[in-house]
Amino acid sequence: MTSAPLTSTAEPPASDPRAIDRAARWALLLLLASGLVWLAVGGVLALIHSIQLHTPGFLAASAWFTFGRTQAAAETALVYGWAANAGFAVALWLLGRLGGAPLRGLGLVKIGGAFWNLGVTLGVIGILAGDLTSFSLLQTPVYVQPLLLIAFAAVGTAGVLAWSGRRVGRTFAAQWYAVAALFAFPWIYSVAQAMLFALPVRGTMQAVVAAWAGQNVLSLWLGPLALAAAYYLVPKITGRTLAAYDLAAWGFGVLLVVGPWTGGRHLVGGPVPAWVPTVGIACSLLLLFHFMVVAINLRDALGNPTGSTALRFVALGVAAYILGGLVDAASAMRGIAEFVQFTYFAEAQTMLAILGGFTLPVFGAIYFLTPRVTGKAWGSDGLIKLHLGAAGLGLLLLVGGLAGAGVKQGLELNDAGTTFAAIFESVRPWLLVATAGVGLQLLGGVFLAVNLALQLQPDSDGAVVVPQPSAEPVP
Amino acid sequence: MKNSPLFFVALFGALALSFGIVVLVSLRQLGQLDAYFDAGEGAAFPSRTPGLAARGLLVYRDLGCAACHTQQVRRPGFGADRERGWGERQSVARDYIYQTRVQLGQTRIGPDLTNFGERAAKAGTDQAKLFLNLFAGQGSMPAYPFLFEVRRIVGQPTKQALPVKSRAGYEVGPTRRAEALAAYLLSLKADFTYPEAQPLEPATEAKK
Repeated sequence: MTSAPLTSTAEPPASDPRAIDRAARWALLLLLASGLVWLAVGGVLALIHSIQLHTPGFLAASAWFTFGRTQAAAETALVYGWAANAGFAVALWLLGRLGGAPLRGLGLVKIGGAFWNLGVTLGVIGILAGDLTSFSLLQTPVYVQPLLLIAFAAVGTAGVLAWSGRRVGRTFAAQWYAVAALFAFPWIYSVAQAMLFALPVRGTMQAVVAAWAGQNVLSLWLGPLALAAAYYLVPKITGRTLAAYDLAAWGFGVLLVVGPWTGGRHLVGGPVPAWVPTVGIACSLLLLFHFMVVAINLRDALGNPTGSTALRFVALGVAAYILGGLVDAASAMRGIAEFVQFTYFAEAQTMLAILGGFTLPVFGAIYFLTPRVTGKAWGSDGLIKLHLGAAGLGLLLLVGGLAGAGVKQGLELNDAGTTFAAIFESVRPWLLVATAGVGLQLLGGVFLAVNLALQLQPDSDGAVVVPQPSAEPVP
Repeated sequence: MKNSPLFFVALFGALALSFGIVVLVSLRQLGQLDAYFDAGEGAAFPSRTPGLAARGLLVYRDLGCAACHTQQVRRPGFGADRERGWGERQSVARDYIYQTRVQLGQTRIGPDLTNFGERAAKAGTDQAKLFLNLFAGQGSMPAYPFLFEVRRIVGQPTKQALPVKSRAGYEVGPTRRAEALAAYLLSLKADFTYPEAQPLEPATEAKK
């Protein structure tokens, strides 16, 4: 393994993208396939949880499937199983592509990936057995956390090597976001481990740390991974330069500097120093600048002159990401938080971030990169279109249903005369809609998994080598 | 952004800044918070959780009760927490200083439990009634049959036996986990008003 200088003055010529893609084939496929298995597992758990929302007795006779445990297990499978694996694959692939050199440290990626998945498996089983931590988005049991951290470092090393050993001196927004995501997670996760579990801080300080870390899992890990995919794919597929690329650095900088402060918005009215939620609210508003830059730069995704389905996924995902930012800022306001706090609305926001803002652009990236990595075309175009429909409609029903239920629940909770039984009856139809959404999401994931299996069939004679676009994206 | 070390320093710095202020500064404010000694009552508040109840917190956590129940009362006038009888005053940081794993919760599918013990005492919900609610479910809360066991009656039925039918010679009784959970729930009360938790009275404020 040759070590490249950190800053290259004399740049060796960039490698052929095809060679870069082929070299990383097995490592990326391992991550993608694991991610899809977790998407299915998380989907099934989310479906169970969603059914329990309107039919509380469902599977309730078993301690393994209490409402609290299915929620934590579904969230963990989706974030640490699906999002982490798929995010790794997409980030590493585009860091290799944009760096112009084959990825190094791929052995570490495979070993780290295997141990990461072992850790998540133990974690999800542990949660169902009752070892959840009870902190949102940080539910992995204490005993798998060190394993996850080490495995992450192994996989992330390849990303850092790709960044520092790049042969193309100039860097692109997609790279900044990918590197930031790989760097931010271990930072956040190790702090959370130290302050919540190893040497737990006192009383409601735990809630402050958990809010900070939990929000950052979404804002500085999953969000940047999705933006990396979107910033790479939009100019690449449309063949047009981004509308305001000069602003991209500002958008990135604002997310990095302001984003980590927004966690306090979850604690409005809570037993913590009042300035913590206030800072969270103010920063949620400041962060709107970041969403504006993303909207300006990636609006071309909506135009889609080439009719690419991958780009449709990205367009939907970017729309979901921006909508999420707007809703987060609005719901942080004290007047609105008074109603939507402690309701299904917060769950709707989390789902919009995970299954919309993160998942949809990453689906787009998977449809784009897999044929280039395997050298074979997708088995079925129809399945891709079906997946787009299922994912889009499923997200709409899921988030719409939960948000509708949340608003109704919030208004009725604040009317002391309405009993919990009455609230339950009035939100039930909305929750049924949300369950239908989860089911569609799961179905969409199955379409993708089947399509990948078709593509990887060893003897498919319809193997079409996908032509490689020669030009790297011009920002 | 050609300079890699600078890029990483900036990444690190951005996270460190938010961590340093949001987390470390509030830690400085709250980290040393201690019990409040009330000379009138001759006791310090909050009181420590008794042993069985402290074990019950672990059961509460591992079943994921916090997915449906919060343990934080918002101030009067912000939401209907007081009107629903969840507490006369807002929860403050001092209420939680002895809790090993704080269960603030994020969703109110069921009622807030900050003062459950106090409410239960007023409503006459004793341990036996609570066991029955956990065993049979209540409203939209499902039953938790796995917290109970069918056991052979040796001599007399035990005091804690549930008034439900079982095979002849057997009774349905709470497991140790159910006992701990019930003890924890009945111990939940925020019955002392700290100086910082006095409800703010806007009218008197205006007069000053």
